[in-house]
Amino acid sequence: MAMHLKAPRPKSMNRFNRWDTPWFNPLLISGSAIILVIFGMGILGQYLWDTDLAYTGSAPLNLPPYGFEGLRGKEGLIEHPLGTENSGRDMLALMLVGAPNTLLIGVIAASIGMGVGIFLGFSSGYLGGKLDDIIRLLADVTITIPALMILVVINALLREIDIMTMALLIALFIWPSPTRLIRSQVLSMRESGYIKMAQLSGASHWSIMFKEMLPNLIPYLFGSFIAGTTGAILAAVGLETLGLGPQRVPTLGGTIYDAINSAALLRNMWWWWLMPTVLLALMFISLLLINLGLDQVSNPKLRKSSQ
Amino acid sequence: MNNVNQESVMTQKASTPPLTSEPVLKVRHLSVFYETPRGDVRAVDDLDLDLMSGETLGIVGESGCGKSTAAMGILQLVNEPGRIVSGEVWLDDSDLLALTDDDLRKQRWSNLALIPQGAMNSLNPTMTIGAQIKDVIRTHETRLSKVELSQRIDELAAMVGLPNRVIEQYPHELSGGMKQRVCIAMAVALSPSVIIADEATSALDVIVQRVIAQTIQQVRQKLNVALIMIGHDMGLMAQMATRIAVMYAGKVVEIADTNHLFTNPHHPYTRMLIDAIPSLTTKKPLKVTGGLTHDPRNPPSGCIFRLRCPFATDQCAQSAPSMRRLSDGAQVACHHVDSLPKFTKEAS
Repeated sequence: MAMHLKAPRPKSMNRFNRWDTPWFNPLLISGSAIILVIFGMGILGQYLWDTDLAYTGSAPLNLPPYGFEGLRGKEGLIEHPLGTENSGRDMLALMLVGAPNTLLIGVIAASIGMGVGIFLGFSSGYLGGKLDDIIRLLADVTITIPALMILVVINALLREIDIMTMALLIALFIWPSPTRLIRSQVLSMRESGYIKMAQLSGASHWSIMFKEMLPNLIPYLFGSFIAGTTGAILAAVGLETLGLGPQRVPTLGGTIYDAINSAALLRNMWWWWLMPTVLLALMFISLLLINLGLDQVSNPKLRKSSQ
Repeated sequence: MNNVNQESVMTQKASTPPLTSEPVLKVRHLSVFYETPRGDVRAVDDLDLDLMSGETLGIVGESGCGKSTAAMGILQLVNEPGRIVSGEVWLDDSDLLALTDDDLRKQRWSNLALIPQGAMNSLNPTMTIGAQIKDVIRTHETRLSKVELSQRIDELAAMVGLPNRVIEQYPHELSGGMKQRVCIAMAVALSPSVIIADEATSALDVIVQRVIAQTIQQVRQKLNVALIMIGHDMGLMAQMATRIAVMYAGKVVEIADTNHLFTNPHHPYTRMLIDAIPSLTTKKPLKVTGGLTHDPRNPPSGCIFRLRCPFATDQCAQSAPSMRRLSDGAQVACHHVDSLPKFTKEAS
């Protein structure tokens, strides 16, 4: 023990065990792992499985998953382990392409929404004045508009929708909530001593906003980003399930739409609607886990003490 | 600039600064009002101050008398609903109140720095100490190389007595006294000619307070900056300040050399303040200054202090006294300064 006390302190000041950090949070790790797997599917899926099978007519129709017995005693084939649906699309390929697409729409929409939200929130909260009035008015009005209704109208009008337009359209309704959140935080932070000192020491507005203030908001931004992603996926899936999603690209919501349209429930083709539903549930659960995990990382009071 | 003069001021703390020395900071007719639904609060009303180079000017007065607001007015950092109504703040031949925002940004901190009231809240929790000091220097001196910059930061840390490791640390890893030192280091980072210490030691315990006060004194002497010290700790003021300005309800009522002020205060309010200082040697009940300050939205006519003044007469209600320089060098705003009874600590 005495030896231990006398040992010279390492230069990097690692007083604690390197692995004893709040970032190794089981919730956070499991949540991110699931999300990463879904994204990995999108990147690696094409090498592991023939993703062309996700398109119409590439496989026998209405096959159950391998090892199950489907309609009229049809046996599942090993060539299509998760079965096929009624226009001959391989379910495994469909999921490998669709799940990352759906997640991607959510992430892109949330990123755009966050970017706009950060910019507007900071300008409105920090610079104040007329600009604040205008931005606040816009955000408040947008937040009261029922987003899904407007999106249904817009999507029905648009002929062709791809992932990017979908994300942009959803982002139109995502930005108000991060804007308001950031604005309120900036308003209170603006009065804090170190911001006053930064102003006094001659720092520019830009550097005060994004160098002094932004790092203090990172926990909020993360939380808001995850919430935004969840909202965006929900909106995207809602539209897709109504048949208003991207027509040429497979998505989870689109698969559910097809399943409903072809009476998959009546025909007992459970693999058709169950798999996208399970994947969506997984996505939402993992986003929730990430949010809870981040909460524990940024708020020590929620953490259990480490031994 | 006369170096010899400044040397003498530094070494003989309480000596009168030579009258020939130029003031570095001149405040003229500064008024800062706070807007309220029931009229303006006259927090600082027609303030005149001169700060000589190299001296330490203490500003004392009870809570709410406008000490801090005066500092914020000089720095032009008055918060809403406050506003600078009028006045001039001359620093090195430029009127700070007349500068544009950009010019002001360049002037402030490089010539006029602040050691803030609560060091705890004055450091950004997400940046290391080194990065924060670096930012302060970088905004004004863009051409420094990385090596020069880190050298400069090391020097600053050494000057205020901080161990080198602090540079890599975050504010939450430091004690209150260390944070205050960091704030001092940031204030002197650009070697300004004037530093305002706004109750820089009042959030600390007495022992740390003393050490910090010594640090400020050392740094001040080393860099020969003029210092405005704001506070209500009369003991600290007695030790640190060359001259002391006494403020009451937004006005300066007396400015005098520290020694004179404590031994021979002129203004009735100053007398009250000095009287209220508990004595170490004699045992007597603590004296409390009587009366309450008037509503600052509605100051009395004539002398600002007449409602609490034991010597007030009709003349005090009719006209406001102007600052007069007395034979001993003190400046006092009182009609009856010549006819007041001689001050003895037990009496009055």
